[in-house]
Amino acid sequence: MTVHLYHWEPNANSGKPMLALAEKGVEFESHYIDLLKFDQHQPEYLKINPDGTIPAMVHGDRVLIESTPMMEYVDDAFEGPPLKPTDPKERWRMRWWMRFFDAYFGPSLSMIGWSVFVGPAVRQRPKEELEAAIARIPLESRRIAWRKAMFNEFGEAELAESRRRVQFCTGVLEDHLSRHRWIAGKTYSLGDVNGFNLGYALPLSQPDNCNDAKTPHIMEWLRRIYERPATRKIWALGRTAMAQRVKMLERTAHA
Amino acid sequence: MLELYHSEPNTFFLKPLVALHEKQARFESRWFNAEQLDHFQLNTTRDIEAHLHLEREGPLLRHDDTVISNSFFMIEYIADALPGERLMPEAPYDIYRAHASGQFLGAHLGSLVPILGCVKYLVPRLHAMDRGKLDARLASIAPQERRVSWQALLDGTYTPQILATARERLKFPLARIEAQLASGPWLAGPRYSIADIDAYAMLCVLPDLTPELVNESATPRTCEYLARISARPAVRAALAMSRSGKPEQHFVPGVEPSRWG
Repeated sequence: MTVHLYHWEPNANSGKPMLALAEKGVEFESHYIDLLKFDQHQPEYLKINPDGTIPAMVHGDRVLIESTPMMEYVDDAFEGPPLKPTDPKERWRMRWWMRFFDAYFGPSLSMIGWSVFVGPAVRQRPKEELEAAIARIPLESRRIAWRKAMFNEFGEAELAESRRRVQFCTGVLEDHLSRHRWIAGKTYSLGDVNGFNLGYALPLSQPDNCNDAKTPHIMEWLRRIYERPATRKIWALGRTAMAQRVKMLERTAHA
Repeated sequence: MLELYHSEPNTFFLKPLVALHEKQARFESRWFNAEQLDHFQLNTTRDIEAHLHLEREGPLLRHDDTVISNSFFMIEYIADALPGERLMPEAPYDIYRAHASGQFLGAHLGSLVPILGCVKYLVPRLHAMDRGKLDARLASIAPQERRVSWQALLDGTYTPQILATARERLKFPLARIEAQLASGPWLAGPRYSIADIDAYAMLCVLPDLTPELVNESATPRTCEYLARISARPAVRAALAMSRSGKPEQHFVPGVEPSRWG
């Protein structure tokens, strides 16, 4: 039964199931959905995921639209190396950190990313075209996010709070990785897949907060994940400069 | 050793109590008065995961040398690690549905329900407290997101307009639940599971907090679902651990609403 994955770049939510599938050795049919062209709000895609969010995965008659639970499905449904620890306490820690990435660290990081990258990338189009694009977005929460990005409606206070949280979260993650080799503990897991998708570009986007001197454990953890064959394979699928940022994790880049 | 640190059996605190009773697990109940902010005086652990409470408030489960936090992942841990009644779905897609439900309802009900409950029941109690003692306790709360959530209850943040918006936003998750229950009796597959424990703990207070949204005519399947779960012996046993006799009237601040607006 073919796995169809509808995704954008190997980055953030799209990259999570891409990397999980590669780690399991599961081939998938890739359907590239260009976020910056609003492919995810087009009628063809809304037939697959009426929420208009990416990624989405179709496996037989099953449709999965939440990226972190989707990764757990990938691990549960397919043969291949396990991506969850065998110890229930490590499994709990893995899930706690995935929620930390998804609900706390990620939204602040993405607010900064949308203000400096996604917004400027789409803003030059005519206002009417952007308004029409917003009108096609099914979820209220996504309409709010896109409106802020398109029309640069981020307030300085909320961006400052996001920057504070990113700095705080980077410190918390460094503290954690100074005591644990991997996110769950002793075992490479979905927690690392999730965290890498969130944080692979931190050394570039947050050079003052994340670097070899200040966060050596994060840097080493990112490089270890980047050296995995599955990571190389998936990031090679990137079509934009966004995915190319991963190359700064080459050890030779810092030799 | 299994110890549950909890307050009145409602919302976040109700979930692990139900799961532990479903498992018929032997555990020590460590009750604290969350409305007096007593839990900030507990020195359970300095672990990142327990200190940086992603739900902002909630139970802690000590199992031997580990302190488990986050109410949804706690009930998944109870389902996973303890013997007894199976509480996890079996099929991978049903497990996906349980995780997706926990994530979706955690973000929506987890933020909206506590706002309505706190404004109705907790705020008058906070105002009745000695203000000097309350301010001293508030000042000691870290990280700041937890402190801010308590201060917002006292500083007039929750205006009638914000409460009206919260009620309006509840319609979205409530409609999804009602639709899901049209396709089966439980939220994640053919059997009762952690998805139902998770949903019940947040939904069961809504007939009181928002009777206009949750009632026999607007949400018949949800009402029948709640009645079915309320009748379970484990749910009755969990609610019977209340010290006030009215657990449904005790709330703590919940998950931070989306910062995107």
